[in-house]
Amino acid sequence: MIDKNTRKLKAVRKKLKKAGFPDVTSVESNGAVLLTGNLDSWNDKVIAGYTAAGKGFRGIINDINVRGCDEPEMSMPLIKDELLAGRSLDAVIVGGGVIGCAIARELSRQNISIAVLEKESDLAMQASGRNDGMIHPGFAASPGTKKAVYNIRGNRMYTKLADELDFDLKRPGSILLFRSAWMKLMIPIFKLRCRNNRVDGRYRAMSAAEVKRIEPNVTETQHGGFLLPSAGIVSPYRVTMALAENAVLNGAEIFLNTAVTSLSLTSQQITEVHTNRGTLNCRVLINAAGVWSDKLAEMAGDRFFSIHGRKGMEAILDRSCGPLQNHIMGMPSLLGNKNSHSKGGGLVPCVEGNILLGPTAEEVPEREDYSTDSHTFSELLGQLGLNNELKASQIINYYSGIRAANWEEDFIIEPSQRVSNLIHAAAIQSPGLASAPAIAEDVAAFAVHALKAGGMKVQPRADFNPRRQAIPCLRELGSEQRARLIKRDPAYGEIMCRCEEVSKGEIRDALRSKVPATTVDGVKRRVRAGAGRCHGGFCLPRVIKIMAEELGVPLTDVTKKGGESRILRCETKEGAFDEAAV
Amino acid sequence: MKRQYSKRQYKDGQRRCCDVVVIGSGPAGMAAAVSAADAGASVCMIEREEKMGGILKQCIHDGFGLIRFEEKLTGPEYSWRYQQMVNERDIDFLNLTFLTKIERSGKGFSLEFVNPAEAVISIEAASVVMAMGCRERTDRQIFLHGQRPAGIFTAGQAQDFINLKGFMPGKRPVILGSGDIGLIMARRFTLEGASVRGVYEIASLPSGLTRNVVQCLEDFDIPLHLNTTVTEVHGRDRVEAVTVCRVDENRHPLQDTARRIDCDCLILSVGLIPENDILIPLGIELDPVTRGPVVDQFMHSSCPGIFSCGNALHVSDLVDYVSESGHAAGKAAAEWTKSDLVGSRKLRLSAGGIIQYIVPQSITEAEHEDSALPVYFRPSVPADRAEFLLKQSGRILYKKRFSYLKPSEMQRLEIDFARIDPEGEMPVVELTALGMEADDE
Repeated sequence: MIDKNTRKLKAVRKKLKKAGFPDVTSVESNGAVLLTGNLDSWNDKVIAGYTAAGKGFRGIINDINVRGCDEPEMSMPLIKDELLAGRSLDAVIVGGGVIGCAIARELSRQNISIAVLEKESDLAMQASGRNDGMIHPGFAASPGTKKAVYNIRGNRMYTKLADELDFDLKRPGSILLFRSAWMKLMIPIFKLRCRNNRVDGRYRAMSAAEVKRIEPNVTETQHGGFLLPSAGIVSPYRVTMALAENAVLNGAEIFLNTAVTSLSLTSQQITEVHTNRGTLNCRVLINAAGVWSDKLAEMAGDRFFSIHGRKGMEAILDRSCGPLQNHIMGMPSLLGNKNSHSKGGGLVPCVEGNILLGPTAEEVPEREDYSTDSHTFSELLGQLGLNNELKASQIINYYSGIRAANWEEDFIIEPSQRVSNLIHAAAIQSPGLASAPAIAEDVAAFAVHALKAGGMKVQPRADFNPRRQAIPCLRELGSEQRARLIKRDPAYGEIMCRCEEVSKGEIRDALRSKVPATTVDGVKRRVRAGAGRCHGGFCLPRVIKIMAEELGVPLTDVTKKGGESRILRCETKEGAFDEAAV
Repeated sequence: MKRQYSKRQYKDGQRRCCDVVVIGSGPAGMAAAVSAADAGASVCMIEREEKMGGILKQCIHDGFGLIRFEEKLTGPEYSWRYQQMVNERDIDFLNLTFLTKIERSGKGFSLEFVNPAEAVISIEAASVVMAMGCRERTDRQIFLHGQRPAGIFTAGQAQDFINLKGFMPGKRPVILGSGDIGLIMARRFTLEGASVRGVYEIASLPSGLTRNVVQCLEDFDIPLHLNTTVTEVHGRDRVEAVTVCRVDENRHPLQDTARRIDCDCLILSVGLIPENDILIPLGIELDPVTRGPVVDQFMHSSCPGIFSCGNALHVSDLVDYVSESGHAAGKAAAEWTKSDLVGSRKLRLSAGGIIQYIVPQSITEAEHEDSALPVYFRPSVPADRAEFLLKQSGRILYKKRFSYLKPSEMQRLEIDFARIDPEGEMPVVELTALGMEADDE
């Protein structure tokens, strides 16, 4: 065994030397390769990380220091209290993204106590709320990888999930456009890939004329394409909310503004979870901590991978563009450099009717810096050309997200080999959203197994309710149904957000849901107030007034996204006006 | 909350009919409703908010009505005068009522609304006056980058918070853009004890009225930085600073001039966009420059029976002209219900020279009871002296000279359209900058 590891390490060192990194030290650690040393650029660190991967180790821990480059620490919630002190829970899930919430919902089928700890002020605040919402067909991942397996399984599960949890799912299908005529030679390879990955639907090649027929506005530069009909779209944060709300309905608890600060272990078993809101006990801990999942593994003494942030920028076009495109379209460059680990961006018709542009991909040292820049934006605009009718002036918003990539570029979904009651659902990036339901199924099974191994009797809940009802979207109802709802509750007839036609009733529902919105962005993500073309220019003053009333706080305490993000500073000289008196 | 709703009583589920529906009850909509009623039409005016007045409700500064009432009024005072006129007439006013659908129905239109009292309401109307005003451009529409903290507001939002709610969005604002609301808010912030860190304008000239530059900035020693823009926003939760940069003649930021300005909010006054999105399904023709409908001298759009006025038609500097176009649209919409002008010939105006845009953009052959009708235009570049010409088939029909033209200041003139030969060639309007040596008339 030692000989085998030594041989593998030798191979890694040889590769690193050949790639121009003779000073990078590599040693074996917890079944992984630990890289140390000093380099001059982040890009070099990234290349070194990928160079070391793929030599048969469990993972790469890239601890190379980049001179003059600080990797910022994780941001922490402001709040400090003892809310969780003394609590004892069967399953604690760290991370309130789509993975954490899908696991919570899956585990809530069992008669166990569950808590999701999320350090941000709302769910889906990081990668899960900052992606294109695509339910990938399962074509892009290499056969045999976890990505491929979970993607296909997850994609299939979405149809039932959308029905049970009452969220919008569309399957417009995606077209991989051919950049040049020679790409037609790839068709048999594409088909083989589909067969190997067991991609659903009648995938097929299309001529340029055929593409033009189903997408009249497609670029003239296409040379046909490959259609993958099983590709779907959802609103990623609404899926996350739906999963969490259903989990809460079945007894799970969600704790926002709650970050894990350290873990206590006794004989390779986690006993205490320390947070900014007190210390709690748990029987099993699930690592769904996204970009910080490697740090959580480190807290448990089970470090065998490291995460590097890969930033992507996306732009949203006005809802009036919706009719201009039917399918998801992308034109990947197959000749891209081998260090590029993205499927390449494209144009995605969203469930809400907007068109989404992107994403880009850029390696970054920061894991939570969601700023945008004009350089990346210009790159993004290049993809607009896939549809002749789309213009930059139709863009109403843009944002960035950060993918939690590891050096092997595959998901880590496994019980810890070192800690008996720890399960990792880590390094999950695209197609993580598509894979989430399948990942959750397996992780929940691992957790139940660990609980049983720990002597607990775990049984399915007799009263598990798989269904969740969404907040009604009045704009999409027919006149009669809409009238019925307004007559029952006139608040549904008072429009607050004019661009997205959102009523006071819907905003109030978002503030009273199972996982209630507590921030302006939280309201926007749940019911779209302020998500339209005027960006809350008209509705923000009205929305925060409803929020202050519902939350029972002064107007000046309402925040955009938690923390110090208060909308207003203070009252004017004359003070707040009583509008009813005017 | 006071709810007014409809003055008339309808049985539940009864379809309403009226001659003219006016969408919006700001200075344009109120004027349109008044003039349509005076022309003998049955009028229904719809407002999505609780009260009439539109944006005037929050414009507590003065300077309104100098032309219309020959007095200096505040926004609410100007609005109040029109509300009286509305109330004196038999105009059906529905507040808290939101237009959700507009469709052609026979010769007229079928409109659907929601409101809390009556749920879903259908109205059949022979003609519709769109007076929905405009919205403000956002930080996203000027492609501002950096972080996205709380503390980025449009000037109109800030005005709503301060003037209608009694709250300060910040105490140390940076103002980007020198549109009129931005200038007025610079003064308003100062009067409320805030310290305005400066007004930054990417263009080489202010985009608001000269009188506002003087009265709102110069009188309060607030610096105006021309050829300068904000390139980046800093602050994770709340705005902490912005980076400002001078720009070259193509408005590209000069990176070596970048400097960081500490502030606690960013107020944007970077342009207004007429709101006409609901008209897109009707296939209405929009002017790419004004972003309002293409209209004739009666404010009649390319969709027969749809009239447009006020800031939904094109963004005006003065409320007086907003109401003026409302009067014209309301009257014409009422007359439309009585006559049939569908087959009339429309002549497109061709605009040349240094004209940025002209409203109306086309002329319809018609019997004119008024000999002269208003025309509004903006120059594309400043000109100390310029000549405006209306020509057809080589003949000069109208000529006027202007001095001190600026793109930021809209010009109004009256033209007798009866002079245009409906059978003739495309009429041409031309604005030509004159050299200093040209004769003064």
